[in-house]
Amino acid sequence: MSTLHLLSHSPFGDDRLNSCLRLLSPGDGLLLCGEAVQALRPGSQPRRQLDALPDDIALHALDEDLLARGLTEQLPARLQRLDYPAFVACSLAFDKVNSWL
Amino acid sequence: MAKSLLLICRQSPWAGPPAREALDIALAGGAFELPLALLFLDDGVFQLVADQNPSALEQKDLQANLRALPLFGVDQLYVCQRSLAERGLNADSLVLPAHPLDEAGLRALIAEHDQSVTL
Repeated sequence: MSTLHLLSHSPFGDDRLNSCLRLLSPGDGLLLCGEAVQALRPGSQPRRQLDALPDDIALHALDEDLLARGLTEQLPARLQRLDYPAFVACSLAFDKVNSWL
Repeated sequence: MAKSLLLICRQSPWAGPPAREALDIALAGGAFELPLALLFLDDGVFQLVADQNPSALEQKDLQANLRALPLFGVDQLYVCQRSLAERGLNADSLVLPAHPLDEAGLRALIAEHDQSVTL
């Protein structure tokens, strides 16, 4: 069963992203919201890890969190930017959602 | 058929309430006979270390809750092998018999459950 992993903590000084990346299976997805979108900072270590993800892992981020942090340039080509209705639709597109609280 | 739940515990018992909250969910789920499994990941493996003394910090002992898990029918306990090794721990010396899993095993465990939550 496919899993959408939902992250909302900054990857800097926190292990959630690292552990999550190790547990992804083909067909799973990653949705970054809140401070977790900081992982998309160009040139950062977490960004390099995201860029190295296999193509069969979908990558999403909540658009308003990107906009609020000025993260609009040099985003990964495959990143899907979501508004709230798309967030809901995305959560339904996977068998389950695992929130990393 | 009730949906199966995987609870992923990744916080140390010394890092605030989440460790206790995860065990409370497990015990409540067990009492209602929900099919659930517990996975100890990252600092969550510190919950399984024997001979800790929470009374030194005037905290309650979580190990009583841990030992209650099998009594509540929660006997699917798993632990991340890598998290143990990183922290110098051994699966043989834990307070509960948790089944050690490598990363492929962890991915399969998550995939086979209907729902999962990480605390």
